[in-house]
Amino acid sequence: MKRYLYDGTADGLLSAISWILQEEPEPEKVVLAEREQTLFEEGFFINTNALQAESLFSRLRHRAPDAAYTIYMFMLAEQHGMESSSLLHYVSLLFTYGDKVNGYLTHPAVRDIVSVAKKAGRELHRMKGLLRFEKLQDGAYLAKMEPDNNIIQPLANHFRTRLRAQHWFLYDVKRRVAARWSNGVLQFGTIEQFTTPALSEDEKKVQALWQTFFKTIAIPDRKNSRLQKSNMPMKYWKYLTEKQAE
Amino acid sequence: MDILAKLQILSGAARYDASCASSGSKREASSCGVGNTSQSGICHSWSDDGRCISLLKILLSNDCRYDCAYCVNRSSNLVPRASFTAREVVDLTLDFYRRNYIEGLFLSSAVMQSPDVTMERMVRVVEALRTEEQFGGYIHLKIIPGCSSELVRKAGLYADRISVNIELPSQVSLQRLAPQKSKAAILEPMKLIGQEINTSLIERSTSRRAPRFAPAGQSTQMIIGASPENDFQILRLSQGLYKKMHLKRVYYSAYVPVSEDNRLPALAAPPLLREHRLYQADWLLRFYGFTAEEILSDDLPNLDETFDPKTAWALRHPEFFPVEINRADYATLLRVPGIGVTSAKRIIAARRFSAITPEGMKKIGVVMKRAKYFITSSGRRFEKHDQTPAIISQQLLLGEARVVEPPRQLVFPGLYSCQP
Ligand code: SF4
Repeated sequence: MKRYLYDGTADGLLSAISWILQEEPEPEKVVLAEREQTLFEEGFFINTNALQAESLFSRLRHRAPDAAYTIYMFMLAEQHGMESSSLLHYVSLLFTYGDKVNGYLTHPAVRDIVSVAKKAGRELHRMKGLLRFEKLQDGAYLAKMEPDNNIIQPLANHFRTRLRAQHWFLYDVKRRVAARWSNGVLQFGTIEQFTTPALSEDEKKVQALWQTFFKTIAIPDRKNSRLQKSNMPMKYWKYLTEKQAE
Repeated sequence: MDILAKLQILSGAARYDASCASSGSKREASSCGVGNTSQSGICHSWSDDGRCISLLKILLSNDCRYDCAYCVNRSSNLVPRASFTAREVVDLTLDFYRRNYIEGLFLSSAVMQSPDVTMERMVRVVEALRTEEQFGGYIHLKIIPGCSSELVRKAGLYADRISVNIELPSQVSLQRLAPQKSKAAILEPMKLIGQEINTSLIERSTSRRAPRFAPAGQSTQMIIGASPENDFQILRLSQGLYKKMHLKRVYYSAYVPVSEDNRLPALAAPPLLREHRLYQADWLLRFYGFTAEEILSDDLPNLDETFDPKTAWALRHPEFFPVEINRADYATLLRVPGIGVTSAKRIIAARRFSAITPEGMKKIGVVMKRAKYFITSSGRRFEKHDQTPAIISQQLLLGEARVVEPPRQLVFPGLYSCQP
């Protein structure tokens, strides 16, 4: 079985896949893995080529837009090191079957990619609801989060339409990545030193109102904290305004 | 009274309203305003009872003139009363929305001086949100039965969804428990809303600029267990509402004993299981192609407590099974207990590539616990032998491990008789 290596980046992975699909008659028989820099590692290293990666992705988008979105979500999970062979096989199936490929769940590679992508998608959907903004002294809004997947980009796109009239920041605390929306421009960047700015005067008052609403809306006879936790896992509570009062 | 105290009273009074859904409407944010609505519906939190919170659900006022027996807010009940001003509701909604606490507003109210006065104030809130604040979030507005049709029309222009509560499943019960309400006052606005929605859809198909009317449709709610109707009556009523009135949803709300009144049954606890079964049966009506008459009948007027309605139906119809998963069409697959909309779609997508084996069913993520008794794959059964409904239901109940073989007594005549 032939073995290829790439440098571990998303671009590297896509350029390796692009190269293999061009050069290998039977890509389903090829193994692709992340280079680990050990002395006796076997395999042929494929150089990263950002242009080639980009051109592959745009061909994928053209051929099968839904499946390309699946790949995008898969990349956000940042697990491509472990699943790189699956992605290679998935892409090769994609060129045969188009968007129908996601239905081929009996194929192990399809199942791997779809299930990782689905998890990222689920967290993205969840964060659209669970993200909490706080109003700062200067009138801007700030939301902090620690998601498992690197979802700041699609999340920011969601809020770009939803909260387009206000000035806001998203901050991924663990990855130290921030998104900023101001005057109709969305920007991304990294922040090395983060200090939480002062809150606006009425912020605590509004938070108290929300906490009150949260408590009163539950029907006491139906208390069910297990259901609550399965819908809203505790790892997200850290930044939930309504969970700070408890 | 400060706003926090009001919020406590007026959200507490609204919490028994079951409908939290905020999906089904697509509203673009205007360039200067706040918000849009999302097609799939977003939950922003889950309350201590495990229910999804997506809307700021409040009453404009709980100061009621009416005296419905089943309601905490009825005029004869001694509870603290409060009313919001329009401005207060507008500010609360915007403050919550900008912090991403909510998808939007769900506004209902007790009947203040009159239905018209109440409805007018409610409409004023949403009018201010939409026109002065350019609010693009979701709005669900309750219609107060008995208000003018002019107000109903206005409500539908500003709200995404409007609803009139049907309250109780029959006219007789309504008269007994909510004497100030009448069936006519409830059904009339429902019909009007249905017509307006239709007209708007037709007009919008020819002109994009025609106004939208309640783009997320209308829904209703009824209280379960406060009156003597059986499940068959209730399901037939819902079926009629879906078919004739084109409602999007009927919500069922288990009666929570909030007041002592000899017109009401004495319940130890709200009938939650019954509510749950009704929701399951309701799904069968809306998405699975069942009719109320298939699920229940005059001889079998109430839903099974042990089995969900689909399993109960399957056990009564052994002639329909087994279903061959590699050939059956979508509608047939949906009739198999344990196979829902997602699983049925996955089966159809996967068998394009190759026939699905029992192993394959697991791989594509179909839960086999119940389904395995009712299907074959390429002619092969998943369970060893033919099974009667009685044995299947026993196995479903006990789980496989504990199924006892029916005791088979071997009798050797004479074996014991010769013993002394
Ligand atoms: S009209 Fe509404 S709020 Fe008033 S008593 Fe009846 S159900 Fe309760």
